[in-house]
Amino acid sequence: MSHQVLDTLWLEERKYTDIIKQPAVRGTVNVLIAFAFFMALWWVFMDPRGYLRWYTPQYGYMYIRWLLIVAIWQVYIFNFWPFKPAWLEKTHPLQKGLIMIGINFAVTGILVWVFYYGIFGKLAIPYFSWPELKKTGLSDFFSREYSSLAILMMAAIASWLSPIWPSAFENYPWHRMQQPGKGFTVLAVTFLFTTYAYFIFMHPHYRVLFYPWQEYTAAFPWWYDSFRTLSGNFNVGWIMCATVSVWLTETILERYPFRLVEKQPWRGLAGFAFILLLAWILFFTFTFMQDMVWGVSVEGAKRLMAPDWRYLHNGELAVILLTVALALYFYFDNWPRKFSTEVNILVRVAIVVVGAWGLHWLYYKFSPGLLGTQAGYSHPQQFPMAPVILFINVMLYHGWFMDCWPGKRIRKES
Amino acid sequence: MAVGTMAGYLGAAGLSSTVFRNQLLPKEKIDQVDIGEIKALKIKVISETSWYDNNVFLNDVKGAGGLLVNQYTIPWTREGVKAGYQGSNLGGFSTYIEATLMDDKVMKIHFDTGWNPAWMEKRFREEGIAEKLAKKEIDFMVQTHEHIDHFFGLEATLKFYPDIPIYVPKGFYQEGFDFLKGKSFPVAGAINNIPHRGKVTVLDSSKVNVLYPGIALMTFDVPIILRVFGEQAFVFNVKDKGLVLVTGCCHQGIISYMEAVRKKVKGGEKIYAVQGGLHISPFEDWDPQYDDLIMAFNKYGVQKIGCNHCTGFITAEKMHKAGLPIVKGTARHMTKRDIYLGNGDELMIA
Repeated sequence: MSHQVLDTLWLEERKYTDIIKQPAVRGTVNVLIAFAFFMALWWVFMDPRGYLRWYTPQYGYMYIRWLLIVAIWQVYIFNFWPFKPAWLEKTHPLQKGLIMIGINFAVTGILVWVFYYGIFGKLAIPYFSWPELKKTGLSDFFSREYSSLAILMMAAIASWLSPIWPSAFENYPWHRMQQPGKGFTVLAVTFLFTTYAYFIFMHPHYRVLFYPWQEYTAAFPWWYDSFRTLSGNFNVGWIMCATVSVWLTETILERYPFRLVEKQPWRGLAGFAFILLLAWILFFTFTFMQDMVWGVSVEGAKRLMAPDWRYLHNGELAVILLTVALALYFYFDNWPRKFSTEVNILVRVAIVVVGAWGLHWLYYKFSPGLLGTQAGYSHPQQFPMAPVILFINVMLYHGWFMDCWPGKRIRKES
Repeated sequence: MAVGTMAGYLGAAGLSSTVFRNQLLPKEKIDQVDIGEIKALKIKVISETSWYDNNVFLNDVKGAGGLLVNQYTIPWTREGVKAGYQGSNLGGFSTYIEATLMDDKVMKIHFDTGWNPAWMEKRFREEGIAEKLAKKEIDFMVQTHEHIDHFFGLEATLKFYPDIPIYVPKGFYQEGFDFLKGKSFPVAGAINNIPHRGKVTVLDSSKVNVLYPGIALMTFDVPIILRVFGEQAFVFNVKDKGLVLVTGCCHQGIISYMEAVRKKVKGGEKIYAVQGGLHISPFEDWDPQYDDLIMAFNKYGVQKIGCNHCTGFITAEKMHKAGLPIVKGTARHMTKRDIYLGNGDELMIA
């Protein structure tokens, strides 16, 4: 049983016509189209053998992270504002995609270059700004890498907290407001929480990142005694699991079971708690699996045996899981839907776990040839989340901005 | 039923990964090999100065597209560098090792061949290595890994001893083997006009490779920046002292290396000394996980650490402050600071 939802998105109201009728063919064609688009973007922007070569690694990875957040803002927080539903229905998916992706890229660029480099990094905390760090005497290369890392760490938190308000709280208590007021309000609130969370979970990493330690400006990494690393990768790992949990509940779990809670804000609070619980179960399960395969991590070790890398890899494994879940949701109509909610969810979870296993194998087998990365699980300068999140971005562009065209098309009377 | 199954799965996953974790984890596998003993070991640093200006090096990397770009395609700066050798930013890494076996035979080992052939030849001549190579007094060369600063100076070795036996780690790319055969890569300034005519042995990570009693190489299957794969390092067992680890860059990580030795080499619980590049902050960059390493290092009870090259001055300073037994050098022949065991410095273990 579900209770009345306070606020819905245009996404939830749109209806489709299947252009390709056979579901498996439609899904496969769409996956291949998304993959081709991903490969083109990777080659142009990221591939170490490609054109711009921004996989330095942090610089391009930072943009990929923020493209994701901006897409969430566009769709979940602003509900496609300033575009009207009628325009979204009648405009060809290619034209719509071009415009929406253009906005996505532009807003990301403005955020990085104006907000972080030009304002926040210049007037508040230099490590958020490549030019400001360089002025302190750091090398040009590491100024860019360090600032990119800080900006993308904030994106990691934003990807967890930004969608929770529209998804779990249904924008309560601002659900009756109109756009863009509602969007700006929710954006401001979630960005405020993101900033608080950043200072608790990530800022202590920067106490230790610089030499000598910046002990007057940041707290000692409080997680060190329990988790055997000073690195903020511990927090990146579980926060990515939380991000993935948000989107698992939003897609294959259909906001179950917290949607059974009758009223807001209790439904939202229950959702937040469920997402956190699921995140920690994922995090500890992945840690345990890695310990089983590679042995218990060793304090101070590098690569496979490093505690901080293991935590980061938890996040990487979670994102691989999410990729399969999103493909099932967007391209295979969240199959199955014919059983009870619980059975549907159980079958989907099984599909996603098996699919993630397969994708994990495919990634590590073929990424050196396809993506220009190096063989091996643990490389200090390689982050599988970069290509995997870019692929997720492409699926979001395809599913949200382009209605999964050409497999589907929006039905105009919706 | 479905809800129960899901709750059961999540509960089981949660419990197995927390409460019952220690009961379920497999026991640590210890399978030690007795590598034998040597009487004494002399390690002489020929060149640990791989590049002279960090910013110039990093700008080369940035201009090429970052740390994952193929090293054979990057136009490394070879002129106009004020702090460089004859204007070139390229130096190189090479060490000379003498291991005295129990029957008093002395094994002479050429450990990496550096980067800039002009600089390497100068250092080889200054330290008498050129003469030993020319007289074929050196028994073999170990190429720790394929990186520019350890390998591109190959011509400086082959000029004196073109058929020197060479050990390389599994993971060498085809470019590396072609370079050995005399192919050049002009964009990167990797020039070799003298084809290697000796035996090349590829060592893999499946076992501890005992070359002579008391002398072993261990290979690690690690992906490394600038598109390099695999690295090997020495384990010597010096009688009455213990194990001595000699590294090129140690991309596998020094703690990971010591842990591997503990599990695979008899006496691995007691590591007496560590010498060479430790690849912690090679560009004077930093990461909190490097502090994890320094804080953990003290637990291993190592008695001498002769670090240099890609260890990083910040790391060496932090290690020194943490009470680790850093062996200081003399800061000669373009080595910048005495906190490193630098060019021309020696470490004797007997």
